[in-house]
Amino acid sequence: MASPDVVDLSRWQFALTAIFHMTFPALTVGLSVLLAVVYTVYVRTGHPLYLQIFRFWKKIFVVGFGLGVVAGTVMTFEFGLNWGTYAHAVGPVIGVTIGMEVITAFFLEAGFIGLMLYGDGRIRPRTMALASWMVAFGTLLSTTWILSANSWMQDPVGYEKVDGQFQAKDWIDILFNPAFAHRFPHMLLAVLISAAWFVGGISAWYLVKKRSAAQPMARRCLSIALGVLGVLMPVQLYVGDGTAVFMGQRQLPKLEAFEGNWKSDNNGYNLLVVPDTDKGENRLRIGIPHLGSVIAQDLSGRTTTPGLLRTPPDERPDMWTTFYGFRAMYGTALLMFGTAFAGVVLRMRRRLYDSPRFLRWMVWMTPAGIIAITGGWIVAETGRQPWVVYGQLRTADAVSHLGAPEVAATLAGFVLLYVTLLAIWARYIVRTVKAGPEALPTGPASPDVPEALVA
Amino acid sequence: MLEYASYALVLFSLGMYVVLDGYDLGVGMLGLVAGPERRRQYGEVVATAWDANESWLILVGVVLWAGLPGAYAVVLPGAYLPLIVMLVSIILRGLGLEMQSAAGRYRRGWALLFGGASLATTVCQGLVLGAVLTGPHQRGGAFRGGAFDWFSPYGVLCALGLVVVYLLAGAAWLQDKTEGWSRPGVRRTGRSLLLATVVMALVLGLSLPGADPQQFSLGQPVRAGLFCLAVGVAAVAGAVAWHGFGRRPDWRPFAAVATMTASGLLGLAVLSLPVVVPPGLTVHQAASPHSSQLFLVLGVGLCMPFVLAYNIYAWRSFRGKYSEPAEIPIPPLPTRSRSLPAAPTSTGLLRTSVRRVLLCVLGILATALSQDVFGGVCDLIGPIGVTVLGCTALAAWIVGDRRDGRAGHFDAATGAETAS
Repeated sequence: MASPDVVDLSRWQFALTAIFHMTFPALTVGLSVLLAVVYTVYVRTGHPLYLQIFRFWKKIFVVGFGLGVVAGTVMTFEFGLNWGTYAHAVGPVIGVTIGMEVITAFFLEAGFIGLMLYGDGRIRPRTMALASWMVAFGTLLSTTWILSANSWMQDPVGYEKVDGQFQAKDWIDILFNPAFAHRFPHMLLAVLISAAWFVGGISAWYLVKKRSAAQPMARRCLSIALGVLGVLMPVQLYVGDGTAVFMGQRQLPKLEAFEGNWKSDNNGYNLLVVPDTDKGENRLRIGIPHLGSVIAQDLSGRTTTPGLLRTPPDERPDMWTTFYGFRAMYGTALLMFGTAFAGVVLRMRRRLYDSPRFLRWMVWMTPAGIIAITGGWIVAETGRQPWVVYGQLRTADAVSHLGAPEVAATLAGFVLLYVTLLAIWARYIVRTVKAGPEALPTGPASPDVPEALVA
Repeated sequence: MLEYASYALVLFSLGMYVVLDGYDLGVGMLGLVAGPERRRQYGEVVATAWDANESWLILVGVVLWAGLPGAYAVVLPGAYLPLIVMLVSIILRGLGLEMQSAAGRYRRGWALLFGGASLATTVCQGLVLGAVLTGPHQRGGAFRGGAFDWFSPYGVLCALGLVVVYLLAGAAWLQDKTEGWSRPGVRRTGRSLLLATVVMALVLGLSLPGADPQQFSLGQPVRAGLFCLAVGVAAVAGAVAWHGFGRRPDWRPFAAVATMTASGLLGLAVLSLPVVVPPGLTVHQAASPHSSQLFLVLGVGLCMPFVLAYNIYAWRSFRGKYSEPAEIPIPPLPTRSRSLPAAPTSTGLLRTSVRRVLLCVLGILATALSQDVFGGVCDLIGPIGVTVLGCTALAAWIVGDRRDGRAGHFDAATGAETAS
């Protein structure tokens, strides 16, 4: 049994590396789809605008993808480095799932990314388009496998336990577990949506700044981003609601923690709580009465939300992280929904590209998707505690035999490295965006536009 | 028998990794001693393939985890610190390479970061190899040793050996990919690295029985035969590399070096089979249950030909000497110039406020619909509401896009006009 320090430090390290890794796929999965689509349109129509869009977003995609790959390598090894006992126990199930992810998805992405990024002028455009689609397909497939593995840990099925090791009994049950059916569509929509906010936000910035060289691209991308968001946001809220209800049934303590109640007598909806974990009560609570009941589909206001006191103390997740993780996700989701709704209305009124206030707001919404995804994962993972495989394997029993000083040293190293990397990544995005896209050729039909004006 | 198939998968991925990432780590390290322009070029030579090469390391990790969880759970905590430093170096390496490549011109900091991190990655991999070969302290299927057990003189020797091997692979790859080196220069560097590799291999091989706690025996004829075959192939390949450095065809040294590395790895595995982690963890003990082995071997085995096929395809697309990618400007398409329609004029304050309030109510109603709040009243209200919302947005998108396209919002010329 390892010391509690090692467990806590290892948890922090895993949380940090996981969150850091997640910020990259949150952008690159959606961007890869966008790149594949615009390149295909370019191959079919020959319209230079789509090549300009492809080349511009490719610059951001390539660095994000590279950082996502190396940060993902860390994750693969951390399962064994810090969580050796876990690795031994679940290896026959999770190890195989992740192995399939690597061989089917990871290699697909990595094999074609070189062609897609450096193939310009060396391979045929049709092959480039195929490579782009393969990369996009690989990222989506990767999401599928990872969600399958994680969902199995949230709601394990189809296994038997032999000497503390999980052994697969039915692979179909394991891979397509019930939690996966809810959580996969939720995550798939989430990554597409977060990339759409990113693209939309940056495009809006060009429109706000009235950068003339980037205007057509910015309009086109804003249109695509808001189109995707208008369609996907309502669906996402609906799917997310279904996921929350499902997880509430399977993991009641998680729901109790993310709704922020201790006693089970509240029919309202908490906006802000200051929980006191030792006493088992909230020091401060601000909420909207009746709303909790309404969300639970009882418009009369009589349904109350279950509280965390129903769970024995040694099986309670931490309310702070779970509650605020959920609020971060849900609050941002409502903002995103409202913005997408406003976008649809503005488009119907033909004012999408010249509504300064809306465009400025869009710029602020650039990181919205990433914030929501991070919040969502914090709920999913901390809400499952103290279990690593829900109801079967405790996190405290899963850790490797390591000394606290070495884990503390590596944790400090990762904090330092990742903060630096985030700063470099942010600076790179800002610089790339400020430099703007490559200039479009001025065709023979518009010779009257002076060069200086375009530049 | 299935566990041997899993072990073979691990070895195959490890071999692919050592051969493929070996050369790009070696190129990175060679860049450290090259001039600025050369250093930038080396980065570009590697940039097209490092993602794919590094994926093999991830495959080694997960196949080991899924197929031989016993070994995974002992080796990784056993070499905790060097592995973490290796992962950090891999991150820095990727960062340096991508930033250098994205910058489009030589950037000293990024290029040096790429080279330095390549060196650190290699050294750490050597230390991990040393830690595995000297046998991590284990009990009850888990690592039970101390934080610095991985450090040993033999580990340092392994690190040195691996640096030399990767440098050799890098030099061979550069002969294949660049025109920059003069032939005598290539020959000198390649041959001295080859000599160093042979020396290191001899030193490491001869001191292995002393460092490794398990008993080696070449008594069985099959084992002895395979081992001698591996050593023989490595020797022949070494001779071919010696001859090939600085001579055409340029691909020959790399092929020879790759064969040499692979047969060296095979020889080591043959020597210690069935033990995977010394002193006594065997393939059988470390293996996962039958159901997982079957799924893994079938799944990965069936996918492997496809993976190899498209990797070869990607590799063929960039075959031949590296050349600077030509800057291809965006080809033009005649644009139509039309004036944009004037923005609609604003209406009265009262109408605007009423419209805004109504829109807010509609928005809240839509949110409630998508939260399935009315599910208690009737099950279908939620799904139907979401479908209507989504379809409305889709219709608005399609109609709006066509209209904007016709109006010339996406044309370069009109974009410039609005700015003027």
